[in-house]
Amino acid sequence: MEVEIVKGLKFHKKQDVAIVGAGMTTFKRRLLETGKELSYFAVKQALEEAGLDIKDIEMVVMGSAPDAFDGTALKGEYLLDGAGGSDRPYLRVFVGGGTGVFAPIAGYWHVASGLADVCLVVCEEKMSCCHPHPQSAFKYIWDPILDRPLKPNLIWIFALEMRRYMHVNNIRHEDIALVSVKNKANALDHPCAQVAEKITVEDVLNSEPMALPVRRLDVSPPSDGAAALIMVAPHIARQLTDEPVWVTGVGWALDTTHWTNRDLYFPRYVAEAAKMAYRMAHITDPRKQIDVAEPYDPFDYKELHHMEGLGLAKKGEAPILTREGVTARDGDLPVCPSGGLLGVGNPIAATMGVKACEIYWQLAYRAGKRQVAKEVTTGVCQAWGDLMQVGTVMVMSNKR
Amino acid sequence: MIEKIVDPEKMRHFPPKGGKIELYWVYTSGRAGEEFFRKLREGKFIAAKCKKCGHRYFPPRIYCEFDFSETEFYEITGEGCVEAFTVATLDLNEEPMEEVIAMIKLDNTDGKIIHVIKDAKEVCIGMKVRPVLRRPEEMKGNISDIAYYKPV
Ligand SMILES: [Zn+2]
Repeated sequence: MEVEIVKGLKFHKKQDVAIVGAGMTTFKRRLLETGKELSYFAVKQALEEAGLDIKDIEMVVMGSAPDAFDGTALKGEYLLDGAGGSDRPYLRVFVGGGTGVFAPIAGYWHVASGLADVCLVVCEEKMSCCHPHPQSAFKYIWDPILDRPLKPNLIWIFALEMRRYMHVNNIRHEDIALVSVKNKANALDHPCAQVAEKITVEDVLNSEPMALPVRRLDVSPPSDGAAALIMVAPHIARQLTDEPVWVTGVGWALDTTHWTNRDLYFPRYVAEAAKMAYRMAHITDPRKQIDVAEPYDPFDYKELHHMEGLGLAKKGEAPILTREGVTARDGDLPVCPSGGLLGVGNPIAATMGVKACEIYWQLAYRAGKRQVAKEVTTGVCQAWGDLMQVGTVMVMSNKR
Repeated sequence: MIEKIVDPEKMRHFPPKGGKIELYWVYTSGRAGEEFFRKLREGKFIAAKCKKCGHRYFPPRIYCEFDFSETEFYEITGEGCVEAFTVATLDLNEEPMEEVIAMIKLDNTDGKIIHVIKDAKEVCIGMKVRPVLRRPEEMKGNISDIAYYKPV
């Protein structure tokens, strides 16, 4: 039997989705607080900003990366009470590093579908308890027969990708290092930052080699933290604020787990996810229509790589835009005005605080000292993870 | 039919060496846990009361999970009564053992914990029990700092 399938994505949403509050903890290695307590701090802040009480929350989405970091199986359930999940529909979502934007996407579909009018999204990560090094937890994401006996290390893999990106596009390390310089400086204005610093390109190029071309200052640090975001239906948003920020598009895509069978120079998974989100948000020329961007920047080259995946720059053009100051906070296309993972820190899923939360704060004009110079209407945030294979994208706008 | 457990190593052409996840964790007891185990070392028990709804948490917490208010710590005796119990006769690896495990409701709180009951000829629901602590120098900052519970 032949089944006729209408190709293409259809967006039949029940209602629009607004963001009305966000919160995050400082990012650092925290041995005193539990992940539940960190979640509580972030949620409390988001509720206060939104002017809501925990009793107003109908459903909760929790985003948290591998159980191996916290060392508790069923980590979503473990974190539940601190995330306000008691006695309500509660769901944990997880696509590795992509979770920081995937969790708000899941929050979006809770509200857009009409199932909930008020949905709380919480992301938590606590990496400091994992020893000998949180990096060790990543050993177990590889195929146990084909990859793991070679003792692969995430940094090596990224070194391969960075080298390929530099080679194909003829990019120098100096141009990539500028991203680290920019983001660590931007982070000086972020109250939650772990590694904010005024550094130079030379500092990056002379920092400790890890797996060349990757050096210490090309990389974001492991961290602990939590972030929260509140998504509501239009009739709720109207009661809370005159200036909500609307989610206008969401997209996600995964490339094959056989990561060696792809060309690493371009993140196809991000391009596919962006295509979906842009279609929904009616964006045809992202470079012109997007005012501010938070692409995922666990490594400096990754910001450039992801800008190209998001269509904010042509292939190989992102380093040029960076060198020309276009991506600076006072530039024409500010990129990672929060300070990103490179400056604020990298508690995997909790980086929602510098991605989705930051775009919300920028579009709501609530970013304080981090507020970009230009007038902003539309922003995009993106995360990346799993076995270097997932792209998660969310477009927001302060115009409905 | 019940499937008998067979040796999975015999099912591969190359006998595998097995695998281990070589991770270990330094766990956090949290702001509330830190306070609890510090006090326990002094031989004292604390619980936490919600400043808004009055719910009395044991083990103590810094927040109320129902209304997200803060809590305040207060002292309790640590005594309680048995709400449910089991006599365990096989351990995790199905080796023989014998231990009474009980769910204990702590006096003057709304909270419960599970712990081992010793020195009891008979255990019944409603039985009053009190904690026996380890010596302070043996304490590790986890629930085993309470060695066991025994009848009052
Ligand atoms: Zn309460």
